[in-house]
Amino acid sequence: MDADDDKGFNASPETISEKPLADVGENLDEKNNYYDFQAFLKIMRDPKADPIVKHTKSFIRNFVSQRENWTTSEQEKLINDFKVFIYDKLLTNEAFRDLSDAQIKNAKEGIEKLVMGKLYYKCFSPCLVNEKRSSDATHEQDLLDDAKLRDKILEFRFLGPEHLDIIPDLINGKLHSFIALSAKELAKINQYRSPRDKMVCVLNSCKVLFGLLKHNNKLNGGADHFVPLLIFTLLKSDVPHLISNVRYIERFRFPSFLMGENAYYLSTLQGAVNFILDMDIDSISILETDKDFNKKYSQNQEEIKDLKKQELLNPKDSSTKFPHRTVSPSPSEYILKPLDDAANSVLTKLNDFWNTSTSPTPSSPEYEDRSPRDHQEIDEHTATVLAQQMEHKEQENTLQTLQLMFPDLDPDLIRDVCIASKYRVGVCVDSLLEMAE
Amino acid sequence: MLQFKLVLLGDSSVGKSSIVHRFVKDSFDEYRESTIGAAFLSQTIKLSEEYDEQVLKFEIWDTAGQERYKSLAPMYYRNANAALVVYDVTEPDSLPKAKLWVDELKEKVNDDKLIICLVGNKLDLVSERESTSLVDEADAREFAQENNLLFHQVSAKTGENVIKVFQDIGERLYLQNKDKIQESKKPNNNNISLQRPSTNDSQSCCS
Ligand SMILES: Nc1nc2c(ncn2[C@@H]2O[C@H](COP(=O)(O)OP(=O)(O)O)[C@@H](O)[C@H]2O)c(=O)[nH]1
Ligand SMILES: [Mg+2]
Repeated sequence: MDADDDKGFNASPETISEKPLADVGENLDEKNNYYDFQAFLKIMRDPKADPIVKHTKSFIRNFVSQRENWTTSEQEKLINDFKVFIYDKLLTNEAFRDLSDAQIKNAKEGIEKLVMGKLYYKCFSPCLVNEKRSSDATHEQDLLDDAKLRDKILEFRFLGPEHLDIIPDLINGKLHSFIALSAKELAKINQYRSPRDKMVCVLNSCKVLFGLLKHNNKLNGGADHFVPLLIFTLLKSDVPHLISNVRYIERFRFPSFLMGENAYYLSTLQGAVNFILDMDIDSISILETDKDFNKKYSQNQEEIKDLKKQELLNPKDSSTKFPHRTVSPSPSEYILKPLDDAANSVLTKLNDFWNTSTSPTPSSPEYEDRSPRDHQEIDEHTATVLAQQMEHKEQENTLQTLQLMFPDLDPDLIRDVCIASKYRVGVCVDSLLEMAE
Repeated sequence: MLQFKLVLLGDSSVGKSSIVHRFVKDSFDEYRESTIGAAFLSQTIKLSEEYDEQVLKFEIWDTAGQERYKSLAPMYYRNANAALVVYDVTEPDSLPKAKLWVDELKEKVNDDKLIICLVGNKLDLVSERESTSLVDEADAREFAQENNLLFHQVSAKTGENVIKVFQDIGERLYLQNKDKIQESKKPNNNNISLQRPSTNDSQSCCS
């Protein structure tokens, strides 16, 4: 079974949803998918791992202190070079060298997660914007593109499935609930800092769409069916900083981990994003066939005007719904939110290991004021309670969504299915589809 | 394990998905992996003795065939090792479209190592049709030759020639990468990927 099962929460998206690759079929190559962050941290605490810990700390310290504003490609290169270097060191280090291939791969994953957890506020563009000193043109470009995508999504959010070549067979009552669930899975991308965890959110979101195809016996249609569904999902979604997130995964996920299926779905997401960025009213072929199109378009334009007016009046509210270029989230918002570190009691235990001298302590007073709960300072108990609360809330949300998606099934039955499959969205959807048939 | 990225291109309904499903179904499934959905599939094949019985894995990237989603294609064919450009032998219009894909690949990917295979599908329907309503085989063959493409006619329905397409591509890939393959056979080197350029410079930011 999978490695996380009996460890309570592991503070990775799997725990609140599921493993992207596991559970899907029988011939699963389990070793390839072994992932256990806590097991990795345990090895890191072994004195024999000291050289690895030292190198990692020193890399982080240098990265943070050497220069204020690296460009995105400089960051990408520095971090990748460090990974190449340290991954090689693992093979000769006493604490790691005798581990199995799967455990070594897990250690590499662990290092990436640790490093990116520490450097997130320096590398994830939305975190940098408020700290003017350390933002540069390349990071600002991400934000401009986020805003452009958001505007395009608003402009075309009224499109129906028929406008995007979604086949009529799929246009039924279930479509919208599946799309909504998929969008929700994707939106979780902002809750995580590690490139892997963000990637899992993308995969989970795609998986819900395949659940829909399976439900309609359209699994064999491949990309012809999937691409329009993903674009439709994006148009109905509300994922702040999607482009920044996608680029962050591209830049900071170790290339050999971003292969195969992961690469496929990330590329498809990028393609879908580009498609939406290029949409314009004159190029939408549907204009002739949908007589109401112009009316719907202008009506939506009116609504957007109202929305933007409201945002100006009440920027706080709107930034959580749809971030606008004039309302950028504070960095602390993005640093505090992630479940992965805050929720990870083992990681907080390692505070001595990440002592304050090596940890990034942003000097901006605004940052300090707003971060009474910086994960550095959370004790283990608080972190555990916090994580449990978040997990519980998440589970309730999932349950409610599934109950909406399957109105014909007994709500208690749905709860049982959720509990049995540990609230993994993909597994739940699969079982419920079978029952509903 | 050697992994190669193969992208599927061609008009809607020419049978891209059917070819891949046939390939996966007819292959020995010793190494079959589960995947999330049917847009990305991977399948392993074993080459003949002549090619050291080398085992290689194809990662097969499906693309949306609809005209309006053509603009997504570059996202799929970048870093590809091979492309299957498919047309339907019973649809004369589909060959010119396949040719356009070949031109685009030559222009945009511009990589001599990219292996392109032109595939005419639905061969099983040929006998039922008037030859005037069919794609001119000589035309396709000639185009393939001029452009240095592999060329096959297949039927996803009966399975005729389908495995051959992938064997043929696999053999080319093998010859192309023989040196790297030999190296990967040495101990401690069991996961070579030829898909992405790797950054291997020295560590610059760590002391
Ligand atoms: N007779 C026949 N039909 C085929 C063959 N390959 C595919 N088809 C049919 O052609 C249609 C389109 O196939 P599909 O694989 O979805 O095409 P794609 O859009 O290129 O992926 C389907 O109805 C298939 O059953 C073939 O070799 N022979
Ligand atoms: Mg298809």
